[in-house]
Amino acid sequence: MSFFDFLYQYEIYFGLLVGLLFGYILQRGRLCFNSAIRDVKFFKDNYLIKAIFLAVSMNSLVFVLMAQLGWIKLTPLSFAPLGNMIGGLIFGMGMVFAGGCASGVTYRVGEGMVSAWIAALTYAIFAAASKSSFLKPVVSFLRGPIYTVEGDGTYYSYGPVGPTIATLLKVNPWIPAILFAVIVWIFLARTKTTERPKGTWNWKVLGIMTVIVSALGYLTHQSYGLGITGGWVSLMNYLVSGKYIGWSGMLIVGIMLGSFISAFVRKEFKFRAPKDPKVFARVALGGMMMGFGAVLAGGCNIGHFLTGFSHLAIGSILTTLFFFVGNWLAYYLLYERD
Amino acid sequence: MAKYEVTKTIDVRGEVCPVPDVETKRALKKMNSGEILEVLIDYPMSKERIPETVKKLGHEVLEIEEVGNSEWKIYIKVK
Repeated sequence: MSFFDFLYQYEIYFGLLVGLLFGYILQRGRLCFNSAIRDVKFFKDNYLIKAIFLAVSMNSLVFVLMAQLGWIKLTPLSFAPLGNMIGGLIFGMGMVFAGGCASGVTYRVGEGMVSAWIAALTYAIFAAASKSSFLKPVVSFLRGPIYTVEGDGTYYSYGPVGPTIATLLKVNPWIPAILFAVIVWIFLARTKTTERPKGTWNWKVLGIMTVIVSALGYLTHQSYGLGITGGWVSLMNYLVSGKYIGWSGMLIVGIMLGSFISAFVRKEFKFRAPKDPKVFARVALGGMMMGFGAVLAGGCNIGHFLTGFSHLAIGSILTTLFFFVGNWLAYYLLYERD
Repeated sequence: MAKYEVTKTIDVRGEVCPVPDVETKRALKKMNSGEILEVLIDYPMSKERIPETVKKLGHEVLEIEEVGNSEWKIYIKVK
């Protein structure tokens, strides 16, 4: 049995293991993309965003290296400008309403935050509905034209893949990856990092841990790297109609478990709930927006930002930009006006 | 007996991110110099972030007191 057959045959265990590690990293490192995007603008706090860009820049090199070694084939997400922009905007606003991004809400489930359970549920239901039920026609209508290019079969997989900076400029994927990484590192080295108290991870540790789990995710999943939305859809379909849970569904189970274990051991697990019932309604709406927005955009903050941006995929870069716009807009509307 | 002469208390336990941070910022804005704000929180991320934000705004963090299982009180002196 070849290595790849082995991965495929036991994919649900690999999904679970990678999920456990990711859940631990998310909980221990407080890695919330909603906070990261908001903090850098409204709290002048760059700790999380620096960790994320360190991870994305290192991922861009690690992914190409893994493809070079023949361990994976890169499968960047397709470029659907309208879907990327509208979906990114809705998702970006949704995460503010929901009090956490796709991965943030998922790991908070394991910390005992009851509002995150509501958000995760509506997110999963609406993502599934957008992918295969009553919202599907709306998604295909809003998505507009979709662009792909023919993969080269060496770095990229055979067949249609999303365009990246490398395929756009028709250069070897190492070139943009190296340039991007160097530019990011110069920028990271020149900005002063917001402090965190003793006992928390240094932003570099958090970034590197995220790179490790991203690489393990891509290696064991093969068809793509880490993503949250597809996993919730698989988990939902497994729960309600007995479909195969797969690597991605088990990843979600692993994240919740990993986060629970990490929180429990560190005495941070606790059932927490907001006192105002209106917050639950707002969180539910946020989850719905995230589910719909993520499917329309073709991915969430993990699929598009952490994994997709690391491919330097055009669609992922555009979507990430609109995550920022949506997040800042919703934050301003909800919290900045007194 | 209270540790500090607290002028105002806000209870943001159970609130979703970023309500604790925002409510702290809002409360501080309305207070006068020298007064003390007490913030009740139960989310570890808030315990790590709020003091940093507060310091950046120029206020003084007097103490972060652990009062129970994943529950803290932050005392802030308004500049």
